[in-house]
Amino acid sequence: MARSTRPVFLNLTQIRMPVGALTSIGHRVTGVLLAASVPVGVFLLDRSLQDEQGFADVAGLLAHRAVKVAMVIVVWALAHHLLAGVRHLLSDFDVGSPLRLARRSAWFVNLGGVAVALFAAAALS
Amino acid sequence: MKLSISRYNPEHDESPYLQDYEIELVASDHMLLDVLLRLKQQDDTLSFRRSCREGVCGSDAMNINGRNGLACITRTSTLREPVVIRPLPGFPIIRDLFVDMTQFFKQYESITPYLVNDESPPEKERLQSPAERDRLNGAYECILCACCSSQCPSYWWNPDKFVGPAGLIKAYRFIFDSRDRATEQRLDDLGGDPYRLFRCRTIMNCAEVCPKGLEPVRAIEAIRLKIAQLPVHQGGLETHPPKSPK
Amino acid sequence: MRLRFTGLAAWWVQRASAVFMLLFIVFALVAFWLYPRHSYLEWRSWASSPCVVMAILAFFAALLLHMWVGLRDVLLDYAKPAGLRRLLLGGVAGSLFGMAVWVVLILARLQT
Repeated sequence: MARSTRPVFLNLTQIRMPVGALTSIGHRVTGVLLAASVPVGVFLLDRSLQDEQGFADVAGLLAHRAVKVAMVIVVWALAHHLLAGVRHLLSDFDVGSPLRLARRSAWFVNLGGVAVALFAAAALS
Repeated sequence: MKLSISRYNPEHDESPYLQDYEIELVASDHMLLDVLLRLKQQDDTLSFRRSCREGVCGSDAMNINGRNGLACITRTSTLREPVVIRPLPGFPIIRDLFVDMTQFFKQYESITPYLVNDESPPEKERLQSPAERDRLNGAYECILCACCSSQCPSYWWNPDKFVGPAGLIKAYRFIFDSRDRATEQRLDDLGGDPYRLFRCRTIMNCAEVCPKGLEPVRAIEAIRLKIAQLPVHQGGLETHPPKSPK
Repeated sequence: MRLRFTGLAAWWVQRASAVFMLLFIVFALVAFWLYPRHSYLEWRSWASSPCVVMAILAFFAALLLHMWVGLRDVLLDYAKPAGLRRLLLGGVAGSLFGMAVWVVLILARLQT
């Protein structure tokens, strides 16, 4: 059998992911999500600054249930990405880098993002 | 004890599969390797690497219940059953639990893993103060078992371009060795392209699984700071009591 | 400071833009919480004042640079064939540049 066709074990569902790995994949996923919502945000900015009608249209849109749900998801994405980012910044400069501390901060980021999202959901409903 | 071990014989298997085993534990089965060696009496076609049986050679690195570790220092008493044993993730499987380590060792060689000093040799040794020697603590102990690199997602996606935590902790060991004179070249080599070092996302899986309790992620942070010409902390790299797979 | 090529430059840009945006977001959240703009005229007059225009431009510059570094990282990791990768990177760069132009136009229109 040729060397290049050797199988590889890479079944992600069967490999243990420690809490820091979840924070990290969350950081990437939320980043892509946020990137996708930037054009939408710029569009809303455009519309709301165009004229009275535009402003009213955007205000009306933001009052929709479905849009509010989307906003909560975006708020969660921003909160997680921001907290995970701050965690990265601190560890770049050697703050909170030892493994035991890093695990704790990973839990804080994961739960913190959800907490902010719940808070936003409450504020928007 | 019930086990499920990944089997694969390239001569007649399409792809790897899990084979169930059951064995009565005896008093001397302290570590998983003891169990595996006795399993070979049941089924002598079961293949895996092993050597020192005391956690210093790194031969028996494998994925145990989802987490990489050395079979010879993984206690049987705390293992969840059935114990699922698979080869190191991301590495080509040669047979059963044997993986192809060629790429891994190529990355290691690529970081120039030897002291570079062309100054005329001194009478006796190249002197180093205790403080300078301490800087290597937490890095020189790496046994190149590959538990870290094979648990690193960045290494999974680009094993040919990203050096990986093991190679980088060894690179640290030479960059921060006061007797080495190739620091500039080492830093240029690692910092000069977006893959060799900068694929590291500080996911920290490496530190989680290192059976020697080392933290390659800290070594990579230190090298990054040095590339950026920012101050790096004095002293060695922090280590932690290793957690084996459960 | 001798910048060691793209890896380090990208790392710095990502960190600096992140810190800038963090401060801006905190400031914006506090400002909107204290002084919400309820009408179109309030909103428009706030957005067209020179300081705010500068701030919004700076924020979007940071945001688009940060997005570039982040999305480039994702593509470098997953897009293996070099040709495909370059194509996708070009696409991302083009979209980001397009958004930069769009924001400038929005803000310029406010001055008329």
